[in-house]
Amino acid sequence: MSEKLLIGRTIDTGSWVHSIDPRAKMVAMMLYVVMIIMSNTWLEMVCVLLFSLVVITSTRIHIKYYVRAAKPLWILMLFIFIVQCLKIEDTDGIVLLSIGSWNLYFEGFRLGLFSVLRMVFLVSFTAILTFTTTPGRLNQGLEGVLKPLHWIKLSPERLTLMISIALRFIPTILEETQIILKAQASRGADLKELPWKEKGKMLVSLLVPVTVGAFRRAEDLVHSMESRGFRMKEPRTKFHRLIWRKRDTIFISLFIIMLIAVVWMSSSGNGEIWSL
Amino acid sequence: MAITFNQVSYEYDAKSMWSQAALQGVDLHIEAGKLAAIVGATGSGKSTLLQMFNGILKPTSGTVQVLDVTMVAGEKSPKLQQLRKRVGLVFQFPEQQLFEDTVEKDLCFGPMNFGFSLEEAKERARVSMERMGLDLELLSRNPFQLSGGQMRKVAIASVLAMDPDILVLDEPTATLDPVSRAELIQLLYRLCQDEGRTVIIVTHRMDELLPFADQWMVLHEGRTVFEGTVKAFVEQADQMERYGIVVPQSIRYWRALSDKFGWSGEEPCLSAEAMSKRIAQYVNLEDISGEEESI
Repeated sequence: MSEKLLIGRTIDTGSWVHSIDPRAKMVAMMLYVVMIIMSNTWLEMVCVLLFSLVVITSTRIHIKYYVRAAKPLWILMLFIFIVQCLKIEDTDGIVLLSIGSWNLYFEGFRLGLFSVLRMVFLVSFTAILTFTTTPGRLNQGLEGVLKPLHWIKLSPERLTLMISIALRFIPTILEETQIILKAQASRGADLKELPWKEKGKMLVSLLVPVTVGAFRRAEDLVHSMESRGFRMKEPRTKFHRLIWRKRDTIFISLFIIMLIAVVWMSSSGNGEIWSL
Repeated sequence: MAITFNQVSYEYDAKSMWSQAALQGVDLHIEAGKLAAIVGATGSGKSTLLQMFNGILKPTSGTVQVLDVTMVAGEKSPKLQQLRKRVGLVFQFPEQQLFEDTVEKDLCFGPMNFGFSLEEAKERARVSMERMGLDLELLSRNPFQLSGGQMRKVAIASVLAMDPDILVLDEPTATLDPVSRAELIQLLYRLCQDEGRTVIIVTHRMDELLPFADQWMVLHEGRTVFEGTVKAFVEQADQMERYGIVVPQSIRYWRALSDKFGWSGEEPCLSAEAMSKRIAQYVNLEDISGEEESI
């Protein structure tokens, strides 16, 4: 169960990307999303791909981990691709394949491929964020990015505290589930060896102890936080302070320049020759 | 031979970047009808080892043979239902292994899965509650309302109710009060001596088991670094510190005595009772020989 969980796993290689301020990384990721959506031609795609590869290589994390991050979504990608192929009708365009009254147009094929590519880029590239930033730092970054929420009287601290506790407990609850599954298996009810109907029953009987356990844990956590003097609204000193440095500005500038380039390419029509 | 391990290794998250070796090339032999104790510092792989005894974890390399079932790494394992009926496993944290809404249902869970009728299961539940010295009134309670010590006893009872041939317990005496602790050890000893079951216990309190265990095993960083009798263990006690094991007082005391009086070849007396007898015997001998000389 936990073996396939790639969320929140930091891979520390000590590259310069690791030391970038988490706020800068988050903003950069948002810029990247815009960039991906804006690019519509082959030229733009290739440019974005090259740019992504440069950043990915400089994290010094092996590319296979980025590929693996996108892998679980392959069914969704296939679905999008097929839908694009089926739905797009381009009566003037080239027909690649024709079955009965239905035609596969090149345009449909291209758009389908682009959607898939976008998705792969998006998921793989944004994995940089979790691969290079520890969950704690990420949370601090989120707090920083969400600062503007103060204007509408929402507390970003409260929000990030909730998120960090939730993330912190995902593995714990999974582990607890595993222990109960093991206890059940060793008393003769192995989920792997049971027929389907019994499987359902076992999973229901799993819910109660896991939920009870989660509540008990939550209560313990509240007590332990309160006994160490935690108050929600009091200002707190941070253990790690986020300091905005020159390289963070440079990092974001790279993304802005790239975004401008993509926008310029698509508006000036330079990509036309490439787009076929 | 009840349990035989041949070059067994186990890795958590095998084949991923976060793989962690828990056991490395463990060889192990436990004979049927013996009481075996496993000790080792925290993180030495004890709990991982135990979970292999009934096939909850399968070796990532090597061969595990328990009773008539053989699990070879990489091969599809046989159906384990029958094995699990014969090997009862009590996990380290009992409060996490109770999952039914009443104690009685929890106790009946095992027997019913192994094909006993509800009536038989209830009878077994009752018997094992009594064996663990638990009040039968607790049967109708919710397990989460019990105290830590009661939960542990119920967890052990729920495994006893399955009537296993091999009983495996992970630190069964932790969180128990001293009286219950001694009672439990006595019960386990009887299960082994009178009923011929194999009992395997992981413990941090060596003192408790020294007078009872036939076989001792020491794990260190996923390897077995010692396997043998109490006598051999006492002889090698000096090296145990290296493996993060605090040598019990009784062994230190016995060593001091045997070095002084030259008893080193003898079967060690490690309970207070046995040791005082041995000393008394020695003193009497001295007296007798002393008297002889004076005459």
